[in-house]
Amino acid sequence: MFGLPIATALLVFGFPVFWILYTIVFLIVTRDWVKDSAAADDAQ
Amino acid sequence: MSYTVIFFLVLYYVVVIGIGYWALRRGSGDSLEDYLLGGRQVGPLTTALTLQSTSMSGYMFLGAGGLGYLQGYWALWFAAGDIGGGVLNMSIIGRRMRKMSQMMGALTSIEYLEKRYPSPAVRLVAGLLTVFLLGFYVVAQLIAGGKGMALVTGIPYPAALAIAVGIILIYTFMGGYLAVAYTDFFQSLIMLVGVMWIMIASLTELGGLTAANNAIGEIDPTLLSVWGRGLGFEGQWGVVAGALLIFSVGYMGWPHVVTRHMAMSQPATARKAGVWATVWNLFFVPAPYLVGILAILILPNLDDPEMAIFQVADKLLPAAVTGLVMAAIMAAIMSTADSLLLQTGSIASRDLYERFINPNASEKQMVFVSRGLVLAIAVIGYAVALVEPPSVFSIVIFATSVLGSAFLPAYVCAVWWSKANTPGALASIVVGASVAFIWQYAGLVDSTQLHPMLTGVVSSSVTMFVVSLATQKISPVPEYVLDAMQVTTTVGPIPGRFLTATEFGLTQEAAAIDKALDGDASDG
Repeated sequence: MFGLPIATALLVFGFPVFWILYTIVFLIVTRDWVKDSAAADDAQ
Repeated sequence: MSYTVIFFLVLYYVVVIGIGYWALRRGSGDSLEDYLLGGRQVGPLTTALTLQSTSMSGYMFLGAGGLGYLQGYWALWFAAGDIGGGVLNMSIIGRRMRKMSQMMGALTSIEYLEKRYPSPAVRLVAGLLTVFLLGFYVVAQLIAGGKGMALVTGIPYPAALAIAVGIILIYTFMGGYLAVAYTDFFQSLIMLVGVMWIMIASLTELGGLTAANNAIGEIDPTLLSVWGRGLGFEGQWGVVAGALLIFSVGYMGWPHVVTRHMAMSQPATARKAGVWATVWNLFFVPAPYLVGILAILILPNLDDPEMAIFQVADKLLPAAVTGLVMAAIMAAIMSTADSLLLQTGSIASRDLYERFINPNASEKQMVFVSRGLVLAIAVIGYAVALVEPPSVFSIVIFATSVLGSAFLPAYVCAVWWSKANTPGALASIVVGASVAFIWQYAGLVDSTQLHPMLTGVVSSSVTMFVVSLATQKISPVPEYVLDAMQVTTTVGPIPGRFLTATEFGLTQEAAAIDKALDGDASDG
């Protein structure tokens, strides 16, 4: 891919894909964090 | 000397100072909390971009480009970890540290450590170590700024250095954290546009990525491998692991970076900030390394590899665009240097001066002392950068490896492991810093093929676990800390007793900690 050996292509493109997936999962599993914010406002 | 380049630089400086002035008008210097944390009112996008631009220093335009030029695609191991550094930070400690720091009333990342691990020794050791290492790190930024400006504008190095330092000081003095955060926001955008422009220009010049890679392969096929020029790093997984760790999990041990968590407007700000950090990193992080690699073809006989990106910009771009790229490079340098100066001044004044020398200092006095120390550090940094400028790459790798090794377990365990106690944290900080330092300077990297960051983090983590478990009976974690940790773990409101506690002044808080150490502590 792009004139690169397979291992290098994995390094260049594989890690970004991994971090995109990590970020999406993070966004999904932390949906309830908004309760923190709303509650803190109420408490103040 | 190109007057067009200078025009763009002056324009950039005017805008940055204007933003600093605007932050001043917002009243960011009224209290110590406003000055140090922007009144804890920073939103997700600004949090993400100040986190990233602070982390991405002049190293990205000098060290990263130089590494790509020397080692080819091996350099991308550093970028591979770096892309996820922001979201890792936000997902692991962002929300919890924001919440915990507010409950404990901590205003600096070192004060936070003392309140989580109650002991003046923690603050003293962590404060001294941080001031020393961040001071070192500042010098690297000043050198990068001076060298870059001198090359592109033709201004002599000492004068270029003085201009860069002067501008940083002006807007750091203006509004403290808020000025730094908002100027970082602007600078991160300039950095992104600048680096993308130079990368696209380089690819266009070489006929695209595939053509460029084929041409590099004809010069030396090992430059396309993941093991570096001449396969010099082949099989050295310890070095690779260190390269991945240093800018990914390493962020979580940098006191000047984790302060960003404490300044967020809400704990949940970490969520969107993590997403913005990934988006920005995906575009920005690999580009300087790639430009360095492409410079192998564009400038095959470069004397100083660290100047690869500057030289490529100078060669390929018209003067106006070079001015923009130059502004981007200065933005990377200045956005890190201002944060480093502010944090070094804050830690030296609040965590060392007020805590151990003048406990009765007023908030106005503290701001004054912090600004005075920023000035002193900038002057000393200027002198060092002028007299004996070492390699930017080596300073940054040294400072960030030692910082990450020393503080990573302390910050992570502070919110995730209730058995992490004071002796464990203190031993972890000392052992982590010592191992990373010794590994680097005793030449153990070559003989063991292990990166100092890897050995440093592993040893500090093991020390944290072993010492904490071994000393649970003689040094249990105080009940009020466990209570705060429990609230931090739970997604929900901060109890009123903790919000009231943040109204305490520093002296009262310090006294409470001392009282707790004497065994008289009660909840909250």
